[in-house]
Amino acid sequence: MAEDTRGNDDATTTVDAETTVDVAADLRRVMAEIDEEVRRRRASGDLPARVERELDELFLQHSPVAGHGGGLADALRMVDASAFIDPVVPVASDKSGGAVVKKGLRTLNLWYIGFVTHQVSRFATAVSRSLHLVDERLQSLERQLAAQRVPPAGVVEAPWAHGPGAWWVPVAADALAGAPGRVLHAASGDGWLVRALTGRGVDAYGIDLRPGVVARAELEGADLREEDLLEHLRAVAPLSLGGVVLSGVVDGMAPGERRQLLGLLSDRVAPEGVLVVHSLSRAVWMSDRAPLAADLAPGHPLRPASWASLLGSAGFEAAVPDPASADDYVVVAVHRPVHAHR
Amino acid sequence: MNGSVGRDDGPPAVHQFVPALIPRDATGSHTLLLRDALRAAGWRSEVYAEATHDELRGESQPIERYAATARPGDVLVYQFSTSSMVADYLLGRPERLVLDYHNVTRPELYGTWDPEGARRSDEAFEQLGRLAPRAVLGLADSAFNEEDLRRAGCRRTAVVPVLVDFHRLEVAPDQRVLRHLAAERQGADWLFVGRLVPSKAQHRLVEALWAYRRLYDPHARLHLVGPAPNAPYLAALRDFVDDLGLGGAVRLVGEVSDTALAAYYAAADVYVSLSVHEGFGVPLLESMSAGVPVVARRAGAVPATVAGAGLVLERDEPGYVAASVHRVLADPVLRTRMVAAGRVRADRHSLAGSAERAVAALATVVGAPPGRPLARVGAGVLPGGGR
Repeated sequence: MAEDTRGNDDATTTVDAETTVDVAADLRRVMAEIDEEVRRRRASGDLPARVERELDELFLQHSPVAGHGGGLADALRMVDASAFIDPVVPVASDKSGGAVVKKGLRTLNLWYIGFVTHQVSRFATAVSRSLHLVDERLQSLERQLAAQRVPPAGVVEAPWAHGPGAWWVPVAADALAGAPGRVLHAASGDGWLVRALTGRGVDAYGIDLRPGVVARAELEGADLREEDLLEHLRAVAPLSLGGVVLSGVVDGMAPGERRQLLGLLSDRVAPEGVLVVHSLSRAVWMSDRAPLAADLAPGHPLRPASWASLLGSAGFEAAVPDPASADDYVVVAVHRPVHAHR
Repeated sequence: MNGSVGRDDGPPAVHQFVPALIPRDATGSHTLLLRDALRAAGWRSEVYAEATHDELRGESQPIERYAATARPGDVLVYQFSTSSMVADYLLGRPERLVLDYHNVTRPELYGTWDPEGARRSDEAFEQLGRLAPRAVLGLADSAFNEEDLRRAGCRRTAVVPVLVDFHRLEVAPDQRVLRHLAAERQGADWLFVGRLVPSKAQHRLVEALWAYRRLYDPHARLHLVGPAPNAPYLAALRDFVDDLGLGGAVRLVGEVSDTALAAYYAAADVYVSLSVHEGFGVPLLESMSAGVPVVARRAGAVPATVAGAGLVLERDEPGYVAASVHRVLADPVLRTRMVAAGRVRADRHSLAGSAERAVAALATVVGAPPGRPLARVGAGVLPGGGR
């Protein structure tokens, strides 16, 4: 009954009477080669990721008010400027006598048009006034909310836990070896894990929102982007990620942000996709060895068993490999959704 | 069988309702092709529309006229793709209702570009929520759309491909257009067919073309065929094209005749879609039918429509899209395979086959058709497939 929804995964396609080509395998190979070509181009500086982002920003400059953060105030200025409807239409004309004719028509119709436009202007002014009242109330609410807002968790990194020599890196790399698609690392920093994974044949890329980190790192050719984790997950297609590694991002996350993250991971990670969550332990978090950023974080590290439970609720089967120390841990989870996704 | 008709009522009737019957529109074309299929199966079938384009005058009747001809046992098929007063009319009718769902663009995809469109979309989903539980059957042209129906509360659903008459593009291409395209051609020609609206993401195509020209082919062009119902988006797109210095390379062609469209397909080297929302994607199939390789972003029903016969991209960064298009154009073996696989895929969507599936699905509600052959399906006045 249902159409095939597997995209490039059609097993075979009969191309002509004599030839049956394994199109799916062929396309997978081609897509991998395209990825390699993009990496090579970026590394050579032909098309830095920064230039691609600038293209987006350039287009957004042309979007309607508020499309790029213009806000309600700008929109209200436009409403105010357009609220008055002028019934006295211009009468200039290039044609001989045209202006006289137009002026005559205007005089004849002004009593009628003037009556209508007066009502329209009155309506527009009332709407504008209402919007200003709404704007004032919103600003008041925003001020109150700002005082209570929980900031998003920043990246909390410890040199001994976030680098290619960390004990959990081989564990993550082994788990991701057969990932069914691209692997995302957040926060990627200078790309240390992306390069380690890529070196082991895993198709990985990274994101990190810390200012300047990606710009410095992408010169070395890794596929890194300056993006927020939740925003990035919202932008990628459902079930499109073969794996995700989270390191330095979940440790100090607030419950609300964590809930959003789990929902997005459940929707964006492909079936059989692998999720690796790395976190500092609570003991380290409370000790003097914790990075300074820990003090400013809105949340605190969960216990490994709590992550396993949360991930289980989100459709992942989680395991906690034995940690090499009591200072940090990883949870490795495989996405096995109970219900099929779109 | 539920809904049997009286002895003197003649064959059962399966009538269709549509908000607007428009030529070269996917829903409009599907409606008329389905009417022909229903009649060929031996059922009585009329189209009732709230509004009908002048080109199709005579193909439909005003909705108010239905009540006078209504008979017990009638099945009413609602071609649902937007909000409309037709929904309220059908909710008030006692006949059995079938929803033929063609997808509604999500409100969030209109953003600030089209607040009115977002409001209409909200209203459409609200209407879908009221109609779906009432429907005895929901038809969807893709598994992606079927999911919407189920979520809305449709108890029985089936996937039936949208009826598309590819033969209408087998006309002689418009020679004037072909000459014009050939005269100025120095590089690859990209093609996209669809409304110029934010959800089709033509601005992303412009970005990808910019990257492609920078990396691979400085003379490549992009032809954007389709109406531009969203004035702010059109203006932004034009300004963006100017900003990038692509004034001569990006052609905003507008809506064209079938012969002109056939010329664009004939001249295209590659069909590229970066649309973020597709309920089915008729032009993808048209491209494959015309032998044009397809490169498309994974969105909505795109993977199911392409079904392995084209490149489905997981991302839409300009450099990645450019590299993908370059690969298709620079690798003759891959291109040949894609074209061949595309033709196979398009053939699977033959009008007769799709019509047969539609009739079979409706037969589960109406009862077996009187038995006239389906071969004549599509032999009527067919005003073109839609985009």
